[in-house]
Amino acid sequence: MKSMFATHRIKLMLLLVAANAGLLLHLLAGEVKPMAAWDWLDIAGEGGSAVLLLTWLGLLLKSRPAGYVTNLLFMGLACLFFSVFMDSVDEFIALPEAVTWDGWLESGPMPIGFILMTLGIYHWHQEQLVINEQMRNRERLFREHRQFDKLTPLGDANYLRAQLQMALAEAAAEKQPVSLIMLDMDDFSRVNREYGHAEGDRLLQVLTQLMLLNLRPHDLLCRLAGDRFVVILPHTGERQAQVLAGELEQAVRSLAYKTSRQGERVELSASVVALMARDEDAQTLLQRLNITMARAKQSLTVRYG
Amino acid sequence: MDKLEWAATWLECDTRFIPAHYQPASLIDLALSRGVNAHRLLQGTGLFHEDILAGNRVTSPQQFLRLISNLQQQLPADDTSFLIGQQWLPGHYGAASHALRHAATLLEALERLVRLQPLLWPLLRLRLRIDEQHVWLEWGDSFGADAQGIFLIEASMAAVTGMSQWLSGQRLPWVFHLAHDQPRYIEQYWVHLGEELRFACPLNQMCLPRSYLHQPWASASVTAGQVAEQEGLAMLLVLPAPRSLLDGLHDYLVQHARQPLRLEGVAEAFGMSPATLKRKLHKHGTGFQHQLDRARASVAMDLYQSRGYSSEEVAEYLNFNDRANFRRSLRRWTGLLPSELRDWLARH
Repeated sequence: MKSMFATHRIKLMLLLVAANAGLLLHLLAGEVKPMAAWDWLDIAGEGGSAVLLLTWLGLLLKSRPAGYVTNLLFMGLACLFFSVFMDSVDEFIALPEAVTWDGWLESGPMPIGFILMTLGIYHWHQEQLVINEQMRNRERLFREHRQFDKLTPLGDANYLRAQLQMALAEAAAEKQPVSLIMLDMDDFSRVNREYGHAEGDRLLQVLTQLMLLNLRPHDLLCRLAGDRFVVILPHTGERQAQVLAGELEQAVRSLAYKTSRQGERVELSASVVALMARDEDAQTLLQRLNITMARAKQSLTVRYG
Repeated sequence: MDKLEWAATWLECDTRFIPAHYQPASLIDLALSRGVNAHRLLQGTGLFHEDILAGNRVTSPQQFLRLISNLQQQLPADDTSFLIGQQWLPGHYGAASHALRHAATLLEALERLVRLQPLLWPLLRLRLRIDEQHVWLEWGDSFGADAQGIFLIEASMAAVTGMSQWLSGQRLPWVFHLAHDQPRYIEQYWVHLGEELRFACPLNQMCLPRSYLHQPWASASVTAGQVAEQEGLAMLLVLPAPRSLLDGLHDYLVQHARQPLRLEGVAEAFGMSPATLKRKLHKHGTGFQHQLDRARASVAMDLYQSRGYSSEEVAEYLNFNDRANFRRSLRRWTGLLPSELRDWLARH
């Protein structure tokens, strides 16, 4: 994360200047209250809100690239912050009765901020729909970033188990079949051994993309472990799952993968098995799938060259 | 009891003998490629990345274990131990690795692994046992790797599985016995080891039908392998001591398992005072009784698994006159009562 902050530098500067200008205006026009006149409850409430708003701003800028939605959210939060900040400055500085602009400084930006925030969140929602489309086949129904494998990035074995449990319950309720595909690369350790781990990692990322391209919209791809992947196929019988499995196998075989350093072609093949869920829980089903894979692998003699 | 003349000194957990550019370096490389901060990884190990790159630094088992512990904290992925293990064998340790790489059969590879162990696999001890039907690989702890024990067992098994698959050109039907309980991340075991997994076992073992030991490996160069092994053996002579204290003690206890064994007598055989032996064991996070239990577990499992002894015969062999006493002892060594152990053996 080499700071997304850099792209937001100007915005932050402007906010800083505005906040300081407000403070200076107050200092010029009024005078500092004696400490006895400070209302500690107000200071804590308003000052605390200002600090929290500043934290939100920081998190927002740190996590989002610059762009339309970010600008809206930023300006919204900035207005809210400015308004609350002016309010808390008020607690320390007494202005003469004649001054009326301070009310504008405190209350003016507040509604503007709320409107901008609302717009921002609305567009954020739109943006999220687009991103969800990109995440298609990688997640279903619920998001849990801690269960995403950093490398590919797909859901890991825990995410798979949770999803599988849900899919099984759903299938039982709707009396629909659900099937699974397991794909395991043949002799993947050779890639790590001959070309290094970085190359192996890159290949796993490429394979992930390849498989995603071959799935239907509601299928879910997860990485079980190492070079072994599992696809959940809702509303799918065993025969259709076998067809999809065959297609995945073919896709891997036809992939003309080149190493990043020498551009050397690596011949790839995968063992792919498919089966339909019976009346069983997620762990038993995974275990059965794994045994099926082991049998498929046993009949395979790997050649090295 | 006879004195041990062949070893005046031992490798201990603070003896520096593991070249930092051997196993530690490939661990560091993997960690860095996964985005771990080098400073945090090396924190508290007394090692610096520059030293390791210079290739003249030797580390102690303690430092190496600390490095592994740091790695576990900094890279909490479930597959780290397995990936590291696959990289560690045959590895890049000069002649010793060549000797493995050019082994003509699995038996030769395993024997070389045992003989050149301080160079190839410094932290755990591989004990090889071949009976009429099976070959058994038992992993023992050479330097008190308690907290990193499971990590190292996973790495060891992945290493031997990976190496034997690579060099033989096929997946061998290994059966894995693991002393720990089934972990949450069982899928890593499926992918990196295999399906034949048994958890909560008396010992950490791998087992394979004996017939696989002698199948010729195509890619081996026999002469190169033999020369490399000689070079490897010469490299062993340069080490501060030939083997680890815990390994030496284990072998001694196994050899004398039929006799009553007491700390005083054993210390004398090792040419040190009982207090010194006790202190040294304590330094490795263990004690005499614990080591004795482990050794007897080894002996008992050998008798049960390879010689098909009944519990009565095992008790008799180990000179137990009292059945209740034997039941209690076996439970302490293996975690199982004689009847449970018999069931367990029948199932596997």
